[in-house]
Amino acid sequence: MSGSTGLDPAHDTRTGAPGEVLVEVSGLEVHFPIKRGVVFDRTVGHVRAVDGVDLTIRRGETYGLVGESGCGKSTLGKAILNLEPPTAGSVLFDGVDIASLKGEALRRERKRFQMVFQDPMSSLDPRQTVEALLLEGMRAHGLDTDASATHTRLRELMSAVGLPPSGLKKYPHEFSGGQRQRIGIARALSVGPDLIVADEPVSALDVSIQAQVINLLQDLQEELGLTYLVVAHDLAVVRHISDRIGVMYLGGLVEESEAGELYDVPLHPYTRALMSAVPVPDPEVEDSREQILLTGDLPSPANPPTGCRFHTRCPWRQETLCDTERPQLRVVDVAGSSPGHRVACHWAEEIARGEIERHEVAPETTDESSWGAPRDDGSPFLAPDGPPVP
Amino acid sequence: MSTPMSTHAVHPVHSSEPLLSVRDLRVTFGRRGEQPFKAVDGISFDVRPGQTVGLVGESGCGKSVTSLAIMGLLPTRGNTVEGSAVFDGEDLLRLSPGQMRDRRGREIAMIFQDPLSSLNPVVQIGRQVTEVMERHQGLSRKEAMPKAAELLERVGIPDPKARLVNYPHQLSGGMRQRALIAMALACKPRLLIADEPTTALDVTIQAQILALLKELVVETGTALVMITHDLGVVAGLCDEVNVLYGGRIVERGDRHTLFSRPRHPYTVGLLNSIPRLDAPRGEALSPIPGSVADNLPWDSACAFAPRCPNALDVCVQQTPEWEGDDVVGLRCFNPMGVSR
Amino acid sequence: MTPTPELPPERTTYAERRSQRIDALASASAAEEGGVSLIKSAWRRLRRNPVFLVGLAITVAFIALALVAPWLAPWDPAARPLLDDVRPQSNPVPGPEAGHPLGADDKGRDLLSRLLVGSQQTLLVGVLATFFGLLGGLVLGTLAGAVGGWIDSLVMRIVDVMLSIPSLLLAFTLAALATRPSQWTLIIAIATVQVPIFARLLRGSMLAQRASDHVLAARSLGVKQRAIVFRHMLPNALGPVIVQATLVLAVAIIDAAALSFLGLGNPDDRRPEWGQMLGKAQPFLGEAPHLAFYPAACIIVVALGFTLMGESLREALDPKTRR
Repeated sequence: MSGSTGLDPAHDTRTGAPGEVLVEVSGLEVHFPIKRGVVFDRTVGHVRAVDGVDLTIRRGETYGLVGESGCGKSTLGKAILNLEPPTAGSVLFDGVDIASLKGEALRRERKRFQMVFQDPMSSLDPRQTVEALLLEGMRAHGLDTDASATHTRLRELMSAVGLPPSGLKKYPHEFSGGQRQRIGIARALSVGPDLIVADEPVSALDVSIQAQVINLLQDLQEELGLTYLVVAHDLAVVRHISDRIGVMYLGGLVEESEAGELYDVPLHPYTRALMSAVPVPDPEVEDSREQILLTGDLPSPANPPTGCRFHTRCPWRQETLCDTERPQLRVVDVAGSSPGHRVACHWAEEIARGEIERHEVAPETTDESSWGAPRDDGSPFLAPDGPPVP
Repeated sequence: MSTPMSTHAVHPVHSSEPLLSVRDLRVTFGRRGEQPFKAVDGISFDVRPGQTVGLVGESGCGKSVTSLAIMGLLPTRGNTVEGSAVFDGEDLLRLSPGQMRDRRGREIAMIFQDPLSSLNPVVQIGRQVTEVMERHQGLSRKEAMPKAAELLERVGIPDPKARLVNYPHQLSGGMRQRALIAMALACKPRLLIADEPTTALDVTIQAQILALLKELVVETGTALVMITHDLGVVAGLCDEVNVLYGGRIVERGDRHTLFSRPRHPYTVGLLNSIPRLDAPRGEALSPIPGSVADNLPWDSACAFAPRCPNALDVCVQQTPEWEGDDVVGLRCFNPMGVSR
Repeated sequence: MTPTPELPPERTTYAERRSQRIDALASASAAEEGGVSLIKSAWRRLRRNPVFLVGLAITVAFIALALVAPWLAPWDPAARPLLDDVRPQSNPVPGPEAGHPLGADDKGRDLLSRLLVGSQQTLLVGVLATFFGLLGGLVLGTLAGAVGGWIDSLVMRIVDVMLSIPSLLLAFTLAALATRPSQWTLIIAIATVQVPIFARLLRGSMLAQRASDHVLAARSLGVKQRAIVFRHMLPNALGPVIVQATLVLAVAIIDAAALSFLGLGNPDDRRPEWGQMLGKAQPFLGEAPHLAFYPAACIIVVALGFTLMGESLREALDPKTRR
């Protein structure tokens, strides 16, 4: 029936109202085995891409997941949709645990949560017309029973993403990058989902085109009451589009907050560094601001540091506690911080009040052996970086 | 129509003679059986010693082709390069490939976007750095090695002596880019061309590399041509900014003027279409409509006219001429008022 | 293309902006007609490629000759019009003469007729051997690439074992096992040798497809596994396999000739075949080299035709050469 209802707002046909919890992720882990062996593969270690994440997404909101490459944000996005089977943990979607679903049951449920990909070219099958691409999901979920309703709906989908109906007969390679991303969005919408996970939806697009797609996503949310999980490395984009933001570092959330507050009152040292590193197109701001230059690169997720994952690069690190105990997300009592603002740092209050001074992080002394031969985990070498440039 | 905004232009570095003077550079790609494509359509700019000049634009605007043409790195088959690029009294575009090879690495060096593919994967970092010195300065490898270690230390690679024997894959992305910068600096070049040097890097690593570049320019007096699509990178780094569209420069100014009073509708459009981290939230973005596929040919119109909110009839009938000089300038019939 | 200066930069209502977007896009794409598929655009490139055209011309010419050979051949290839008592024993192989432009073979059969009719057997063996090889490879490759797990391991180990034996040796062995050699022996032997090559190639390209974004997109859409394999993975994985098949056609024809030359093919020389003709010409290489030259030249030219076609097909399907 929903084939004939066109692009009605998602919450009209659902039970829930805006504001209530739609997705509840708890203790989610995704570990990839590192395999070795000539004839028989044996597991010699694990890359902890996602290592214990709890988060909730409310109906109708946009949750932004931000972090640098290798922090596990994309894997988390896919794990929530069970496109990457989680190693542990649960993902309650409207009361159903997606993480434990398998096979046909999972496939049927998929019409309620969709994904938009980073590279609009590689995520569209080059051999299918746009019409075939849009029809496929509807067919898989039995939404294409009425031929004339399907015909109407295809046109509605195209106009919803700002493409002419004549585009239905064309192939993806005949469109520009921005238009392809619109097709990807239309495909996600074709099955009438509640939740859309957008993995770097604009980072492959030209600057002037990015804004078109961002506005389109926002318009569609407004019109259809969609819930978004936007995964991106661009903090400015995430802040613009999101209601709440989670900052990821090395497989875990280090801070979670309402979008505006995250910029005004960043509590985690990593968030501060990330924020200070984003260039702003304004020379006055660029000249006057204080940068927190991090030393070193991301440690290997196959062999993460003990205690706080960030302690090896943290300019506010304190002796022993940071090295030994992994901090949990908690609400802190800091001026300007609301109860929804959580941070995983032992010293967040002290840092915010200025009681702990920022200090130089010495480059780690690396012994010859760790550089001479590959480590057992087979991970790429990740070197500590130099001291911050004055 | 519009007068150059020379009133508020204070340029301490512009007193000296240009080190590189590019005039009316044109690059045409002519593939067999296809329409010739003008990738660069008459670009002129100057770079003075110690100055950082930015070339900004989106993909297809000709910014990378410009740098490759100056470096003599474009494949010769099917391409025509016209105009001149005078470096230190010599037109680089007229040099023989051998003469050009001699300039590259010694006087002019280049840093590319992808540090992994720019490094030879089977040669140790130390060898790759010393190779440049052996070639251009006639040093033996024994003499060059300590210097290579110094260079690696200079660009912020910790424990440089140990790192000399590493292969590129053993370094992280940020480290590789540092190693590439070390190679570029090995012969103390007078001109450094950086083509999207931080695009492949994470934002915290980008901040490190930009800080390093900024510092090197001040310290060594090297002239830097920075090619990027990121207006934020330009705002913090470049003395002079050139905005490119469809193979031509459409606006030029020192960074303070250009960002506070952008005049070309394309520059304004770019600035309004990116979300700013420090802007109040909830402000909608104003995208530039259409895409580069809508461009008109510069021969008879303004290429940007079909996407331009300020377009007049004249914009699709005549080519807007460059009004200005080598310091500030604009190519537009109907520029934006002082806005933003 | 007309300018659209009326597009306001400031934010308007959603409906207004949407209709503007559609108008702008509709006007931009009004002139264009229906879509151009990848196959179509590859064909457009191929049509302009002289290498492909030469290969195509050769192949088509030989196939056409093979089809009309029974009517075109001036003599029955099994008949012995030139065998009579008049011929002196010192020259058993008659040269060209009126009515027999290429002369005859050692048994007095018209050489031109035998070459023409022989093209049937040669092409048939080549095409069928490639077809069966491809079919076997498709089944095994799809199974390994789409199902994965232990099936993949099993199939690939078998394939590895088969690939470790030199292909011609394997074909010899298989052909020699047959109690009564015929052209089917050849076809089966050569097809078997090709199976692991096709299987390995397809499996690799299926695995690449399985990891691709568009397959992930189809999975996330809830498309059924079978549809994903047959609609998305297989069609996109086939490109390199098709190219390989074109190239294998040439190899199969040469291999078939080699096996026939060694007497492992059809022993009945009343039904000529180029490789077999080449084999029978061996004793007369000194006095009548043309007996070997003509079939050999035919084999080389046909193989070249298929190779040229395969190479230009590879070029046309290569994503790097796409615009």
